[in-house]
Parts: sequence; structure tokens; C-alpha cells
Amino acid sequence: MVRLVGAVFVLQLLSSAAAIFFLRTQMVEVVRADRVRQVVDVRDDLLAAFYDGGRGELADFILSRRGSAGDPTVFVALTGGDGPPLLSNLDRVPQVAVGPRPVPITVRRSPGGPPSEGMAVAGRLPDGETLVVGVASTSDRRFDLAFATAIGVTTAVAVLLATLSAAVLGLVISRRTHEIAETAAQLASGNFGARLAVDETGDGFDHLRGQINLMAERIDQLVSQLGAVSGALAHDLRSPVTRLSAALERAMARVEEPAALEALEAARADAEALRTMLEAALEVSRLEGGAVQDRRVALDLATLAEDLVELYEPLAEQEGVVLEAELHAAPVLADRELVSRALANLIDNAMKYGGRRIVVSTRMQGGKGVLAVADDGPGIAPEDRARAVERFVRLDNARTRPGGGLGLAMVAAVARLHGGALDLSAGDGGDDGSGGLVATLRLPA
Amino acid sequence: MGGRILLVEDDRQIADYVAQGFEELGYTVDRADNGRDGLFLATDSQFDVVVLDRMLPAMDGLALLKALRAAEVDTPVIMLSALGSTDDRIAGLNAGADDYLGKPFAFGELLARVQALARRGRGPAKAMDTVLRCGDLEFDRLSRQVRRGARKIVLQPREFRLLEYLMQHQGEVVTRTMLLEAVWDYHFDPGTNVIDVHISRLRRKIDDGEAAPLFHTVRGAGYRLAAD
Repeated sequence: MVRLVGAVFVLQLLSSAAAIFFLRTQMVEVVRADRVRQVVDVRDDLLAAFYDGGRGELADFILSRRGSAGDPTVFVALTGGDGPPLLSNLDRVPQVAVGPRPVPITVRRSPGGPPSEGMAVAGRLPDGETLVVGVASTSDRRFDLAFATAIGVTTAVAVLLATLSAAVLGLVISRRTHEIAETAAQLASGNFGARLAVDETGDGFDHLRGQINLMAERIDQLVSQLGAVSGALAHDLRSPVTRLSAALERAMARVEEPAALEALEAARADAEALRTMLEAALEVSRLEGGAVQDRRVALDLATLAEDLVELYEPLAEQEGVVLEAELHAAPVLADRELVSRALANLIDNAMKYGGRRIVVSTRMQGGKGVLAVADDGPGIAPEDRARAVERFVRLDNARTRPGGGLGLAMVAAVARLHGGALDLSAGDGGDDGSGGLVATLRLPA
Repeated sequence: MGGRILLVEDDRQIADYVAQGFEELGYTVDRADNGRDGLFLATDSQFDVVVLDRMLPAMDGLALLKALRAAEVDTPVIMLSALGSTDDRIAGLNAGADDYLGKPFAFGELLARVQALARRGRGPAKAMDTVLRCGDLEFDRLSRQVRRGARKIVLQPREFRLLEYLMQHQGEVVTRTMLLEAVWDYHFDPGTNVIDVHISRLRRKIDDGEAAPLFHTVRGAGYRLAAD
């Protein structure tokens, strides 16, 4: 944007300069033609005087104020006679070759005076003398000065106007794009009610705003439909699942036969898994709906992570997973319960999806508290990462393993609720999968 | 076991299952399917525990609980709610509930919590005892010394708190979520068997090489620490 405005600005200056230069050339040409005509006129007058009244009349005409001497722009020299040369408005005879046409010349009008440019023509009189007639003006300099001033003023005005318009244009464009970006950011963070004000001017920005609003409307509809469906489904399933669990437990209390007990135990475990999934689905719905009280307190992510690592450490050891902590103080405002839950989900995921070494780290970065879980498992392909945080999405390689597909969605919802974000990336090994997965939760301090 | 329970729940099927479950274990269960009847029964008769649904017709669970506490009835109350979020749990506890369980719940979880509340209502609290005993296991909370017979047992700080909770609730079934809440102060279900592994570590330290194990696994529910 800035570059474009700069380029327009430079082009504008260049075109102004070209216009001024063209104008000056034209004017110089006009002045030159004018002088040529004047020189020829004066010479013809002088020749007429010479032929009418002889040399005496010519000399008189040259020297009298009535004739050539009266016009300060005209200079005349009559030289080559017996006496000293006759000069009018000149201090010495200019060197001009005899010829039919006026030629450019630089003369000094008085001793020590400034040189001035002009046109002059020289001709031989029948008596052998040479008559030099020229026109020059002391105004040449002023002429140039006036042009310099004109160029200067024009340039200054152009610079001022261009800077001003660039600044105003830049500001307006920047403000409008920021407005749009801000709304887009709100939409991205889950505030699907965010809209842009449309001012009906019908310009490009207005069109863009209208289209973004339409898009937001559509997203809002789809998300609320999805949320309503999954929320209602989870809600309606709760009572039957509760009854199912209760029935199974009571049946287990009644039967003695080992085979029946085993079957009941398996069914009970499934019912339990279903219950956990429902609970998680409802929790994600609640979090995404933002229907959660603000329970943020000042806490250190390092302490929070230390507790969670301590909770998971025995399980990790039993599973043959190395669970490490690299904790640096990261004070943030956060809901301990929700962030703990999010971290538990991340550690759980890392263990479930093949990590043999898991590193939980906390630190401050760019004014935000960072909580990261890195594993050396197969990772998630870059193109799948955005999808991985959606509700109920389980990637192909995860489909055969237990889990409800709600873990990352829940973590993302917790991040959004805190005004933060969840990023998935590859570890140091790169995107080919050898780098494992790094899930990074950034929370405002 | 046995005891008298008031069940205030408007979902008839859930109420049937819960009531049957308790009755099979020897409890007497009184039932109310709306808040007003529930409050009347709770203030009028003596119960060991009240199992109270959060959302009820006529008078909602929270209002009932507040009225009950205002009438200085201190029967232990466990609140059930389809609203299992932290917000609702805290609202319930603030209104005077002794425990809170989100729906859907496992019956074993409710049973363990009701038993814990019933015992607390009956017996003197062990919370103040300096030295806790279970069989030949001795647990000194001041000196932080743990002995099994003559054998001294070294525990990590978290294991110490875990054992402390189990000792305070010896003879009772404690569920994984109860341990997670009491020892770690987390009110969510991690979904994996993190607690089981902590318990089995502690169990090895306490029971390995002993003739009579003190740790007992209660299938489908949790654990019980007892000398029997």
C-alpha cells in the first residue's frame, strides 16, 4: 500500500516536471522567434534610414533616443568605417559573422554588466561598413528565475498535496481494512455475532463489508445449527445413558457367573466411555457458547503445569513414556480448572497418539503466557491441523484408537474463552512427521 | 450398611433406578418428584442423606436447599444436575450442598458419595485426629511419619495426601473422581486411569510383602482402604 502511494507520488512529480519543462521550451522558442522578428524589423528600419538619408541619417538614427538608442533591448553597432565604431546600448562591438539570418549571441551591455542572451544579425553596407543589429533583454534572468520559482512552487504544492492525499488515503484505507480485519478476527475467535457497519456508499469497501457480513451470517447459522444439534443430542442422551449405567451396575451386583460378569463389565466400560464423551461434548458446547462464568485468577502456568505433570507422571511411566517438564514462570489470568483440563487433554492426546517422549513447557513470549506440549509421535499433517481442532473430527490415523474426538476442540474452546489461541505445529524435525506434534496454547497475561 | 435416603428427582426412570439400587443395598428410600414435596419431607423427617436434583417442578433444587438450610436442617445433601459445569457446582455448594454430581453419573459414583456423606453425618469426624490408624498401618499427620507395623514407609508429598484421604475415609468406597477432587482439586474426569496408577504405586508401598492387604479395589466404583 505504502509503496503504491509512493510510486503514484513520484509519477506525479515526474509528470509535473515534464509539463514545466515542455512549457519552458515552448516559451523560449516563442521568445526566440519574437526576437528574430524584432531584429529583422530594426535592421530594415536602419537600412531604410541609410537608403533614404545616407550614412548621416543612419548614424543619427542609431544614436538618437528617438531611434534605436531609445529601446534598451535593442543594440546596434556600425563598424568598419574611418572613425571609431558607432555603438548604441553597447560597450563594444560584438563578434557576429555577416549573414542573412539572425544568430544567437551573448553580449555585455555595459562594462562589467551582466551578460545577456539575445539574437543579432550582421550585414555589410554598400560603403563597406558592417551594421550589427541585435536584441537582448536583461529580463532573461528574471525569466529563468520566474521559471525556477514556478517549478519550485509547483513542486512544493505537488509534494504537499501528494503527501497529504497519500496520508489521508493511507489512513482511510488502513482504518477501513483494520476495521474489517478486526471483525474477521472476532469471527475467527468464535464471536459469530460480529458484523461490520455498511454505509451504503456502494464503493469497493462497502461491497467488501457487505459480503463479509453475509459470510458471517452464514457461518453463524451453520455454527449455531451444529451447536444446537450436538448440544441437544448430548443433552437428550444423558438420561438414557445414566439409566443404562445404573442398570448395568445393578445387574453386576446380582449375577455371580464369571462370563456374565465379564460381559457386563465390558458393557459398563462402554457406557462409561459414552458418558465421558457426552460430558465432554456438553462441556465443549458450553465453552463455545461462552456460557461460562469468568473465573479467571492470577496464576502461574508453570505451577499449573507442574501439578498436571505430577498427576500424569506415574501413568506415563507405566506406559513407557518419558514425560518431561521445562517450566519457566508464566503469570497469566486464567481459569485454573479449565486450563488444567485443557492441558490434561493435550497430555492425554500426546500419550494416546504415539508419543514416546512428551515435553510440557511453559514460558512468556510476546507478552503472552505460553503452554506447550510437544511429542515425538507421528504428528498431524499441515493440511489436517485446522480440522483437527473441530468437534468430533478424528483424523484417519486416530480413528482406530479410543477417544471421542473432542480433546483438541475442548482445548481450542478454552483458548478462545481466554482470548488466546491454540496452535498446532511440527516439532524441530519438520513437517514430514518426524518432528512429532507441538500443541501450543497462548494465553494473555 | 443401610440408612434412610430422601430422593428428590422428577425423572421417573432415573428415580426408579437410583431408588432400586439403594434399596437392594439395604437402604430405605423416600421419594419426592417435585421441590415442594421434597422440602416438606426433608424438613419433616430424619434422613441420613438427601439426594437432590437441581431442576425440579414447583420449586427448584437450589431454592429447596436454601430453604432447608434456612430452617437449620443440616442433613447432608448431594445435588444432582444435568448442568455439570463448574459454575453450577459452585452455585450448588454455595447454597449449602455437601457434594455435587453432574448427570449423567455412574451409580457407583453416587453410591460412594452417599455412603461418605451418611458416614460423615453419623460418626465423629476423623479430620482432627493427629494419628490415623488402619490395621497395623499408622499415619502421623504431624511428624508426617507412616509405618506399617515396624516398617517405615517413605511417601512423596502427593502420596501422603492420597493416603491421608484414604485413611480418613477408611472402610468407605472412594471413587477416582472423589480422589481427584479431594487430593488434586480437579473437578474434571481425565478419562484415563491416571488415578489408578497413583493408587497402585501407593498400594505397592503399603501392601507389598504384607500378609493382609489394606487396599481393596471395588469393581466399577473405586477403592476401599480397610483392615478387614
